[in-house]
Amino acid sequence: MTCQSTTVGRHVCVTGAAIVGVVSCLPQNQVSNAQFENYFGEAAVSDVVKMIGVQNRFWTDEHTSARDLCAHAGRRLLTQLDWPVTSVDALIFVSQTPDYRLPASACALQSDLGLTSACIAFDINLGCSGYPYALWLGMTMVQTGAARRVLLAVGDTISKIVDPTDRSTALLFGDAGTVTAIEAAQEQKAYFVLGTDGRGACNLIVPKGGFKDYSKSGDIRLKEKVPDCLYMDGGEIFNFTLKAVPALVSETIESSGIPLEEHDGFLFHQANLFMLKHLTKKSKLPLDKTPINIDQYGNTSCASIPLLMTTCLKDSLQKKSMQLAMFGFGVGYSWAGLSFSVGPLKCVETVKL
Amino acid sequence: MSEFYEGMAEIFEVELSAITSEFELHSGEAAWDSLAIVSTIALVDDCFNVMLDGKALGGCQTIADIENLIEAAKKG
Repeated sequence: MTCQSTTVGRHVCVTGAAIVGVVSCLPQNQVSNAQFENYFGEAAVSDVVKMIGVQNRFWTDEHTSARDLCAHAGRRLLTQLDWPVTSVDALIFVSQTPDYRLPASACALQSDLGLTSACIAFDINLGCSGYPYALWLGMTMVQTGAARRVLLAVGDTISKIVDPTDRSTALLFGDAGTVTAIEAAQEQKAYFVLGTDGRGACNLIVPKGGFKDYSKSGDIRLKEKVPDCLYMDGGEIFNFTLKAVPALVSETIESSGIPLEEHDGFLFHQANLFMLKHLTKKSKLPLDKTPINIDQYGNTSCASIPLLMTTCLKDSLQKKSMQLAMFGFGVGYSWAGLSFSVGPLKCVETVKL
Repeated sequence: MSEFYEGMAEIFEVELSAITSEFELHSGEAAWDSLAIVSTIALVDDCFNVMLDGKALGGCQTIADIENLIEAAKKG
């Protein structure tokens, strides 16, 4: 199949690589909705929760970063897969909450995991769409022979950048770090659709902290917002999602050549419950094949899709091969979907740090 | 139109009979906030398969204003 572009995105088929294991790592500290009631009041919390559907989330302490969660998950994964550290040729860290502005956290992770100096390691700055992008790149590296085995460390600690007094974001996010192992597998085909619309950049943004200060741009929405914290224009994000995602779903399924009914699972980035329900209905997907765990873990940014695999799909993925479709979308704006076969996996689990 | 009115009654948490074209979005019992607006965008998408702009919705005063937006959106 040749690559092609449509209004939805770039269609790419990657062959010869598969996921062999996934581990998610959650922080110990569990945060319930009751903990927000003192500040926001019971009624306001209940209003927000009705929309976002988050009952519980896990937050890191001040000493723990996304890299730490990924390091813990990565060690477990290497042990369970029985992969010698010398066999990992590449490590990609996907996050918007890296340890430092520099150096790249992937370099620290290479050392944390004891990988060799012949390991390719670098960071990717993507959020909600990050997991499908990481799979596309990791699998492409295997397809070309650049790497035989690849680790995708995908995680975020958005709790560290929310404004605790902003009710539209304070309750929504949870922290998680995940690592996915990829290696060569004959006969495997993964069908990707990847797209971008940077016109939405200022609708989901941390205005300050990089090397340009958007808080001084004159955007009136940012008046009285904390410039170092995450700003989200919920209405704009919702409009974007409604426009972009149903088309992404149908083109991804169509490009795979596998009918919708023959897919075993549709894994959406866990953005918010109301949005997920609406997208499922709009795309006419069966509810029993569209797992949701945002109630227990919150929106964990780029980690939400692998976290679905190690929680809701854990038992199935241990036992059998599943045709899965995955959809990431959000900050950027950036979006990506893929359809491929996963499992049975030698390792699929959730650990705590 | 009834499915739309039922949805609006749910969003505002009022009796269905309270929802008419004249219903004031900013009346005492209603909260025309960002949550209500996002819910309305989804409802209108469900009922009429058209997408309304959040900012335009924010400027509406009554249900009739929303209905006008829907009619305009249908015409493209």
